[in-house]
Amino acid sequence: MTKNYIKMNNKIKFQYFPYHLVDPSPWPILLSFSLLTFTTGAVLYMHGFNNGGLVLTLGFLLTSSGMALWFRDVISEATLLGCHTREVKNGLMLGVFLFIVSEVFAFLSVFWAFFHSSLSPAIEIGGSWPPLGITPLDPFAIPLLNTILLLSSGAFITYGHHALIAGNRKAAIDGTLLTIIFAILFTGLQYYEYSEAGFTMADGVYGSAFYASTGLHGLHVIVGTIFILVGFVRIVNYHLTKSHHQGFEAAIAYWHFVDVVWLFLFLAVYFWGGA
Amino acid sequence: MSESAETTSKYVLQTVGFDARFPNTNQTRNCFQNYTDYFKCITAKGEDFAPCKQFKKAYNSLCPNEWISKWDDQRENGTFPASLEP
Repeated sequence: MTKNYIKMNNKIKFQYFPYHLVDPSPWPILLSFSLLTFTTGAVLYMHGFNNGGLVLTLGFLLTSSGMALWFRDVISEATLLGCHTREVKNGLMLGVFLFIVSEVFAFLSVFWAFFHSSLSPAIEIGGSWPPLGITPLDPFAIPLLNTILLLSSGAFITYGHHALIAGNRKAAIDGTLLTIIFAILFTGLQYYEYSEAGFTMADGVYGSAFYASTGLHGLHVIVGTIFILVGFVRIVNYHLTKSHHQGFEAAIAYWHFVDVVWLFLFLAVYFWGGA
Repeated sequence: MSESAETTSKYVLQTVGFDARFPNTNQTRNCFQNYTDYFKCITAKGEDFAPCKQFKKAYNSLCPNEWISKWDDQRENGTFPASLEP
């Protein structure tokens, strides 16, 4: 009798297709409103409206907590409910790469702004780049060190990834942890360099182009670090296996993208634009 | 009155010739370059040095008067965006 029931139940639950039909969820609509609040807050804050910073903070908290709750559901679906079949994983990875392509174009626009202002400097800044009175940062000091840190972190994450695939838990944890440490060092050094720099985002086109491009990259480093940190925690908690670690691979792809953007920033903004 | 008639007859209306550094229709940079070159020139050679006058002629012909007075003010305030050291 019991055996029959299990048989029946399995028959009912059996899915004849590999796709994941998602359950109704509050997160998409919540995030839509959160993002609207976030962008509106950013505009209000940047244009000096009353309480703009408050709206911006609210938008940030709503967006980040909404994302955390949504991703928590995705982790449950993947790790505990087994919804992420090979077909679903393909779809997720396609989504990740399309997202990275859209990020490439976001960075293209700040690079465009930088080259527009620097390749043919306007007479308002005396027709020279960097403009008179600006002391650019030495590219061979902290920026070169940061290049080495970021490239090394890319190597460490490859080590951790391969260790994970090989089933070497300790090496996977070590490699990922080293990646995170190097990423935090990078962010710390960028913060130090920003606080020591002799120009600000508000005193001219040099500072605007510099902080818009390196700042956008810095935000991506912070997001990438959190992304890898989530992978790290999931390795430690036995969520990720040698054949099922799509989120971690997404973090790795994102990290390499951030790494490549830095190389272009280093060459264009720090080295060429600072000479 | 005879004096003013004399100056009028001597006055030559002249625009700057083609400069290969500034081949575009937009001559903003040409104007700016001649303005800075003039002040670099007189810093180096003195105001009476005749060849410097060529730069002054050029920028007076190319630049809108509004820009010239704006840049003159900026030089006085020390906010001119380019170096005028020769």
